[in-house]
Amino acid sequence: MTDATASAPAAGASWLGKLEGKVSWILLGVAGLLLPLLDDSYIGVIAQRAYIYWVLSAGLNLVVGYAGQIAIGWVSMLTLGAYTTAALTAGTATEPWHPYLALIAGGVVGAVAGLVVGLPALRLRTFYFAMTTLGFATIVTQVALAWKSVTGGGVGTPGPVFPWPFDPGWGFYYFCFILAALATWMTANIASSRFGRALVAIRDAEVAAEASGIAKPKLLMAVFLFAGALGGVAGGLFSSLQSYITPDAFTFEISVLFFIAILIGGRGSILGPALGTIILTALPEFAAPLVQWSTFLYAALLLVIVLVIPGGIADLLDYKNRRPLEQHREIAPRQELLGRLLDKSDAKHTIALKDIALHFGGVRAIDGLDLEIRSGEVQGLIGPNGSGKTTTLNVISGYYAPKSGTLMLDGRSLPFGQPHLRARYRIARTFQTPRLVGAASVLENVMIGGTVHGHASFAEATLALPRNRRDEKLLHEAAMQALATVGLENLAGVRADRLQHSELRFMEIARALMLRPAFLMLDEPAAGLSPEEIRRLGSLIKAISREGTGVLLVEHHADLIFDICDHVTVLNLGKVLAAGTPNEIRSHREVVSAYLGA
Amino acid sequence: MFQSIISYGLAVGAVYALIGITYNVMFSASRVFSFTAGMLGMLGGVLGALFITEWGLPAIVGLVLVLACGAVLGIVTEIVTVRPVLKSIDQHLYVLSTLAFALMIQQLTAIWWGTDARPFPRLIPVGAGWLDQQFWLPMLACAVTIVGLELLYRKTLIGRAFLAIAEDSYAARALGLPETGLRMASYALAGMIGALAGFSGAEILLAFMGNQAILNFYGFVPVALGGMGSNRGAVIGGLALGVFQQAANFLVGGIFAAVAVFAVFIVVLLLRPEGLAGASAARRV
Amino acid sequence: MSIKRRTVLTGSAAGVVSLTSGLAAPAIAQSDPIRIGYLPALTGPSSSTGVGINRGVQLGIDEINAAGGVNGRKLELIVRDTQSEPTKAVNAVAELTQRQKVGVIFGPVNSGEALAATPLIARDKVAMLHPCWVDELIDVKKYPMAFRIAPTNTQVGGGANFYVADVLKLKKAAVISDTTGYGTASVNTYVPMLKAKGVEVVYQGHVDAANPDLKPDMLRMQSAGAQVIMPWSVNAGFLSRILNTRGAMGWDVPVVGQTTLGSGQTKALLEKPENWNKVYSNNFRNCCYENGKLPARAQEFVDRLKKSKIEMGDTLLWWIALGWDGAQMMAQTFKAAGTKSDEIVAYWNKVKDWPGVYGTVTWTPEQHNGFPDREVVMCEVNSLKDGAFNLAPGYSS
Repeated sequence: MTDATASAPAAGASWLGKLEGKVSWILLGVAGLLLPLLDDSYIGVIAQRAYIYWVLSAGLNLVVGYAGQIAIGWVSMLTLGAYTTAALTAGTATEPWHPYLALIAGGVVGAVAGLVVGLPALRLRTFYFAMTTLGFATIVTQVALAWKSVTGGGVGTPGPVFPWPFDPGWGFYYFCFILAALATWMTANIASSRFGRALVAIRDAEVAAEASGIAKPKLLMAVFLFAGALGGVAGGLFSSLQSYITPDAFTFEISVLFFIAILIGGRGSILGPALGTIILTALPEFAAPLVQWSTFLYAALLLVIVLVIPGGIADLLDYKNRRPLEQHREIAPRQELLGRLLDKSDAKHTIALKDIALHFGGVRAIDGLDLEIRSGEVQGLIGPNGSGKTTTLNVISGYYAPKSGTLMLDGRSLPFGQPHLRARYRIARTFQTPRLVGAASVLENVMIGGTVHGHASFAEATLALPRNRRDEKLLHEAAMQALATVGLENLAGVRADRLQHSELRFMEIARALMLRPAFLMLDEPAAGLSPEEIRRLGSLIKAISREGTGVLLVEHHADLIFDICDHVTVLNLGKVLAAGTPNEIRSHREVVSAYLGA
Repeated sequence: MFQSIISYGLAVGAVYALIGITYNVMFSASRVFSFTAGMLGMLGGVLGALFITEWGLPAIVGLVLVLACGAVLGIVTEIVTVRPVLKSIDQHLYVLSTLAFALMIQQLTAIWWGTDARPFPRLIPVGAGWLDQQFWLPMLACAVTIVGLELLYRKTLIGRAFLAIAEDSYAARALGLPETGLRMASYALAGMIGALAGFSGAEILLAFMGNQAILNFYGFVPVALGGMGSNRGAVIGGLALGVFQQAANFLVGGIFAAVAVFAVFIVVLLLRPEGLAGASAARRV
Repeated sequence: MSIKRRTVLTGSAAGVVSLTSGLAAPAIAQSDPIRIGYLPALTGPSSSTGVGINRGVQLGIDEINAAGGVNGRKLELIVRDTQSEPTKAVNAVAELTQRQKVGVIFGPVNSGEALAATPLIARDKVAMLHPCWVDELIDVKKYPMAFRIAPTNTQVGGGANFYVADVLKLKKAAVISDTTGYGTASVNTYVPMLKAKGVEVVYQGHVDAANPDLKPDMLRMQSAGAQVIMPWSVNAGFLSRILNTRGAMGWDVPVVGQTTLGSGQTKALLEKPENWNKVYSNNFRNCCYENGKLPARAQEFVDRLKKSKIEMGDTLLWWIALGWDGAQMMAQTFKAAGTKSDEIVAYWNKVKDWPGVYGTVTWTPEQHNGFPDREVVMCEVNSLKDGAFNLAPGYSS
C-alpha cells in the first residue's frame, strides 16, 4: 500500500457481510458453548431449533437479504432434506445409510432442489418468482404425502438418530451448534467476497452490476445451490430433532418465519437475520398467551420493518453510521495517482459505430449514427434532450441492440446486447443517475467495479481460501487507490447513501476506473456539480485520457466539453448534426443556432 | 361427467378470473402485484356469511356491505402498503408489505371467524343440477364485471383517466390527472371486484380463511398466463384453468391434479415469462 | 391436520379401584401439588376435539381437587397448547419432561404431534397416557411407558368395517379420504382389512380437502357399483361436500365413517337436513343411546355434567368423557401407586376392566392398547342429543 492510501481509514470500511459487530458474534458463540452448563434440556431444545433454523436461514439470507430474491417458499428445502435424511437412514428406499452420510445426501438433494427452484428467478419478475417458490413448496408436500413407500405418507417416518459423538442430548446440541457456526462462517465469507458484493449489486443496482461484468445467472445459480444445500442439511437435523416427521410439520408458517426473520434482521446483514431467527424461534415459547397471535405479530412486524425501518435490526445496531459526517467536504482528485491505477500502454484501440439505427416503437431514437472513440482522446457527445446521446452510450455498453449498423472494437465486431460482457473488453461507464448500493460502504461500491479481476471461484470464496484472500487484498488496494485518485478516500468507510450527489458522481468514476478501462463512457458526470467541482472533474477526465484511455463524454455543459474534448460530435434527433474539433464545432453555424443558442 | 367438468370448471374458473382481474386493476394503477387479491376473495365469502347468515341481513344488503368492505380494504391497502413503497418500486418492497398486510387480515379472520370452513347461504333458490345458482352466479359476476369495466374504461372520463395512468403515469401526471386519487379509486374498485369474486363463489368454496392462499395462487395463474394487465387474458386464462383443473380431477384425480396445475404454471412461465399473450417489457436503463 | 381421540376412565370413583393409599408418600413435598403434563391442541386448524376433551380433563381435575386432591395433594395440570403444530409439541415435551419434571403426560391429541412427541417422551422415561388413535404410538418394546386409553385407528376402522360387512352385509365399498396424513393412512390401513372381510373395494382415493367439487369421485364410485361410501377425514367441509353431492345426485347410498360426519360443523354445512340421513359415524358403545337410553355410567356422567353446567351443545359426549376418564385414571393411579413414572407404569400394566365412561380399559405388560373392540360402534348422526347419538340400526345388544 502506498503513502496515498496508507493513512486512509480503510479498516472496517465495509458494511456487507463481514461479521459486523465481532463482539456480538463472540458473545453469541460463548453463550452457545456454555449453554449446556445450565443443564436445562428445554432451553437446549429451543436452542437446537434456533441453530437448525439458522442453518437454513443463513443460506436463504444470501438469496433474500443479499440477492433480493423473494423466495417465500424455502421451507421446501427443509422438507426435502428432512425426508431424504430420514428415508435413507430408515432404509425405505435403499439399503439403510449411515445417518451422517444420509445427512450429506440431504444437503445434496437440497442443493439440486435449490437450483431447480432458483432457475425461474433468472427469467421471472419478483412476484412471479415468489409464486413459483410457493408452488414448489406445495408440490413437495403433496409428493411426501403420496409417496407412501418412502415417506410413510401421512403417517410419516421416524427421523434419524445420530450416533456418537453427536448423539441425542447435548451431543446433538453441539452438532447443531457447530453446523450453525459453520454456516455463519461460510455465508460471511461469501458475503464479504466479491460474490457478496455482486449479489447486493444485482439487488440494488442491477444495471451497474452488469456494466461491471457481473453475470447474474451464474452467480445466482451458485447461490441457490449453496442455499439449497444448507436448507437440506437443516432439514436432516430438523428430522432428528423432531424424532418423527409428518408432512404437517412443514407449514407455510415456518416458511414465513424464515423469510421474516431475515427481513427483520435487515437485508445485507448476517448478524441481524441471525438475531431475527433466534428471536422468532424463542419468542413464542416465552409468550405463551400470545401463541395464537404469533403469526399475526410476525406479519405486523414485517409491515413495520418494511415501512419504517427497511434496514431492520442491523440498521438499528449500526451506530457507527449515525455519527455525523464532516459538513464541508471537498472533493480533491489526485490525478497524479492515476498512473498506478491504470496500466499505461501505448496500444491504440478504437471503438467505431457505423450507421447505427435504433427505433423505440415508431420513434427513431438513433438514425444512422457514426462515431469513433480512440485511445487517449476525449470524444464529446452533445445535443438537446432526446437527441440520442444516452441511447448511443447504451448501444455501446450493450443495453440496447440496434436494428442496423455495426459496432466494432479494433476492427472486430462487438456483439449487440450482452452488457455484462463489456467489462471483459475493459469498457467501463457511469450513469446519468448514479447507480449505487446505498447500504454498502463507498469502498465496497468501488470494489464492485473490479469484480471481473478476481480469480477465486465461488467455492474458494465460501471457504476463504488463499486465492480469495489475495483477490480481496488486491481489490481492496485498487479500490483505495481509485478513491484516492478521485479524492474520496476519507469517505471509504461511509455508507454510500450518505454521500452528497456530487460525491456519488466521483464514486461512480472510481468504480469505473476499477476496470482499468481501455474505454470510459461518462453520462453527464457534471450534472449537479459546482463550477469548482466541474473544473476538477475536467482535469481528472483529461488526465485519464492522457493515460491512454479512450473517453466518451456525454454532457450538457458546453464549457466542459470545449475545454477538454479532442473531438466533439453533435447529435440532433438521432442524427449527427456536426462533428469535429471543439473549435470547428464552436463556429459551426447550424450548431450555434440550433443548440448552443446565443 | 362432461357436464360436471364444464359447469363446475367454469364456475370456479370465473372466480379465478375475477381474482385475476383484481390483480390486474391494482397492477394497472400502480405497477404493483398485491398479495391482497386472494385476501379480498376470502373475505368476500366470510363477510357474506357473517352479514347474511349470522346477522340475518337480506342478501342484497349483505352484498352491498361486502362490496363496501372490499372497497375500504382496497383503499387501506393502497394507503398502508402501496403508497409508502411506490417511490422505490425497483426494490419490490410491495411484495413484502402486501404479503404482511394480507397475512395480518388472514390471521384476524382465523382468530375471530375460526379456522374451519362455514357454510354460505343459498341466495337465489333458482335452478337445479348443473344450472344451480352456485354455478351461474360466479359466471354472472364475472360477466357483469368485465362488461362494467369495458364500459367504465371506454365510455367514462374517469375510466379513460384510469387507462392513461396505466399507460404512462408520468405523462398522466403531467396532464394534471390526480394520480394519487385515481390510484386509490382503482384500489377501491379492485377491492370490490375481489370481494365480489369471493361472494359469488362462496357457495362452492365456503366461507373459509384457507381460501386466501388458494385464491392468491389460482387467481394469479390466469394473470401469468394471460399477460399482466390484460383483463381479457385473465378471463380466458381463469376459465381455462378452472376447466383444466376440473378435468384433471376427473382424469387423474386427487393429489396429481394440484401438481399438474403447478407444473403447467411453472413450465409456461419458464418458456414465456411474459405470458402466453403478453409482450416482453422494455429495458430499464 | 390431525386427528385425536381419547379415552376415559369411569367416572364413579367409588368403583372397583378404590385401593387404600399404598406406600407412604415420600417425606419431602408431601403437600406439593402433583404435576401432570398435558399437551392438548387448543388452537390451530384442528382444535375442536382438543377443546372438547379439555372440558372433561379440567372438570375431572377440578372435582378431584375440590374433594381434597389425592392423599392431600392437589393435582396441577401443566398445560402446553401444541397449536396443532408438531414443532410446538417437541418444544413442549422438552419443557414438561426436563424442566417441569412431570411424572406423567396426557396427550398429545393430534396425530402429527403425538408421533413426534412419543419417542422423545419415551427417551426421557416419562409415563404417557394417549388419547390419540394412531396405531404406531403404542409399541411395548419401543415405548414401554406409553399406554392408550382410547381405541386405535385399526379398531376404529374395524368398527366401521364390521358394520358394513357384518351388520349391513354390503359387498362393494368406496373408500375415500382427504390428503392429510390421517386420511391417507386410514385408507391405506382399512382397505386391506375390508378386503380380508370379503368386501370388494370398488373405489379408493384421496382428494384434496380444498377441492370444491367431489362430483368426479362420487360419479366414479357410483359407476363402480359402490353400495356404501366410507369417508375418512376430520375435515367437516370435505365430509359435508360428500353428503351434499350424494344428495344432489339423488343417490341413496349409506355413508359409514369418521366421527366428524356427526359433528355440528358438518351439519352446519349441509344444504338440506335430509343429507344427513343414512349417515353412520364412529362412536363408542358407552356413549350411545340404545333404545333411547344411555348406559348407566354414561347417564350418571351426563347428570354430573349438567350439574356442573358444562356446555354440551357444541361438542360431543365422548370427547368430554375421554378427557374426564384421563383425569380420573391418573388420579387413581397416583393414589394407588404413587406419582413416579415407574410406579405409574407398574400399576398400569395390571389395570383390568377399568370402567371408564368412555370405555372399559384393560392393559397388560404385553398390550398397552386398552380399549375393547366391541365398544367401537357406529351411530346415527342425525340423532344428536346432549352430545350423544343413537346406536346405528342392526346391532344386537
